[in-house]
Amino acid sequence: MSTIKEFLSADHSRCDEIFANMEAKAGESLADARELCEEFKNETERHFQMEERVMFLEFENKTGMTQGPTAMMRQEHTQMRTLMSQMLDAIDADNKDKFFGLSETLMILLQQHNMKEEQMLYPMAQQHLAAESDRIVDMMESLIVE
Amino acid sequence: MELAGLSTDQAPPISAPVRFFLTAPLFGILAGILILFSDSATLMNRFSMESIVITHAITIGFLSFIMLGSMTQMLPVLAGAKMPKVELVTQSSYILLVVGVISMLIGLYTSNTMLNIIAFIGLGGGFLIILTATALSLRTVVNFNATVRGITTSMVFAFFIVLMGLYLLYSYIINDVGSTHMIVANVHSVWAVFGFAVILIIGVAFQVLPMFYVAPKFKSFCKKRVVWLISIGLVIWMFLSAFYEEYTIVGKLWIAMFVWAFATTVWLKLSKRRRPISDVTVWYWRSASIFLTLGSFLWIFDEYFKHEYIVMVGILIGGFILSIIIGMLYKIVPFLVWFHLNAMGYMSIPTINEMINKRVAQVQFILFIASLIGFIFSFYMPYLLDISAISFIISMVLLEYNVVAPILIYIKTKKTKPDFDMSMFEAAKE
Repeated sequence: MSTIKEFLSADHSRCDEIFANMEAKAGESLADARELCEEFKNETERHFQMEERVMFLEFENKTGMTQGPTAMMRQEHTQMRTLMSQMLDAIDADNKDKFFGLSETLMILLQQHNMKEEQMLYPMAQQHLAAESDRIVDMMESLIVE
Repeated sequence: MELAGLSTDQAPPISAPVRFFLTAPLFGILAGILILFSDSATLMNRFSMESIVITHAITIGFLSFIMLGSMTQMLPVLAGAKMPKVELVTQSSYILLVVGVISMLIGLYTSNTMLNIIAFIGLGGGFLIILTATALSLRTVVNFNATVRGITTSMVFAFFIVLMGLYLLYSYIINDVGSTHMIVANVHSVWAVFGFAVILIIGVAFQVLPMFYVAPKFKSFCKKRVVWLISIGLVIWMFLSAFYEEYTIVGKLWIAMFVWAFATTVWLKLSKRRRPISDVTVWYWRSASIFLTLGSFLWIFDEYFKHEYIVMVGILIGGFILSIIIGMLYKIVPFLVWFHLNAMGYMSIPTINEMINKRVAQVQFILFIASLIGFIFSFYMPYLLDISAISFIISMVLLEYNVVAPILIYIKTKKTKPDFDMSMFEAAKE
């Protein structure tokens, strides 16, 4: 079974793929990209919840750090949720410029967020939660999105 | 483990990198004006005072300002390392470097010993402060990936080129420019280009290309070995050029081969990128890869023509470094403004695309590329030099405009507080 770090990093790449497909589609026709945009939003939401409802909680319980890195990551999740909703609004308003402005902003925010997680938080989580790694990955895999 | 990069409270203030970003294009404009008042025959000689002064207006005033300025911002994200006392470090090194570089440019131009001494202190102090702070922050890194290794290696080279640069300046101060000076000058320039700039860019590219353009990841051989191979090449080349000058071509071929392989890899990765977006930053990565390929080939070719083309090599490889740096600036400045404002709770702010005038960026790109091509051809057609210099100056003015515009949005938003709203974050905390 993959480690927490491998599992969540692979999920980042998977979401990146959907994001790229969504932008490619939006380049052709904004309206046609709505489905992919929703898929991206749902899959990203799933990723966020795997972290917020499983991994972050385990990490916070283990280390006692509730106002540390996880708080910052939660805040960036909130920023990204807003951007994703605004992207759907831009599709509904058929505003291509706004859509690509938002998608570019989201892309950079998302990538620097992923770098921080993959570079710092995941290795740390893996280190602290090594013994429970399999259980935590299992829980994340079977999560039902709220 | 250092967690600084994971907290906005402790993330470097926006002023830390921005003061460097705002100043850099001004040195670009200055370099353009200096070129305008030179003639191509003088500039063809790499050791003419005009060439040295113009080169350093660009390399110190433009390139190192942006590269070191962005380190303050990139280290927390890329490496999880935070620069100690970042505000103090950037403020003091900024002042010292600005005073140092201006004194050096005028000091060398007018052979003014006093100014050269001030330059020695300013540049020595400024570079050593920011390089030491960077080194200290790199010591805290736990997860040493390819990017961090690249950055660290380039910082080691930076340290040596600063020492060599200070030696060179010192020999102007005591008026003793002999054969050692020439050898050191040669190593200083080649290490600065390949050891500092190229290796830094390679390290950052490993991370940035796959992430921002969803390009295929670099092969593990490339990530693990290329930086080392180029570094070894640079050391071999240095020994050869100091002791066995007739064999320097071996070292050059070694370096050029890997550098060219990198340039080609960048091109191929970009072609296979999953994001279809083709903005000015992609154009800049493309032009960079062409400049680097031509530059590394010409560097080898030049060996057989009594170094007749060395200034052209400098323009081409300089074009590579400038292209990457300008392209990066177009992403980093608007993002910083957006990120800092958004983290403060301002929600209805322009997206990063809206902060940069796309048309202006495109015109800036075209003028920049045209000026470099013009500089190269002005060796054969000297009348092209003036128009190329003007094109370069305008491109730098436009770049400054595109750096200033997002900063003005930042200042204005903070002043007018359009929709200060923290409710979203409070909801998230519950």
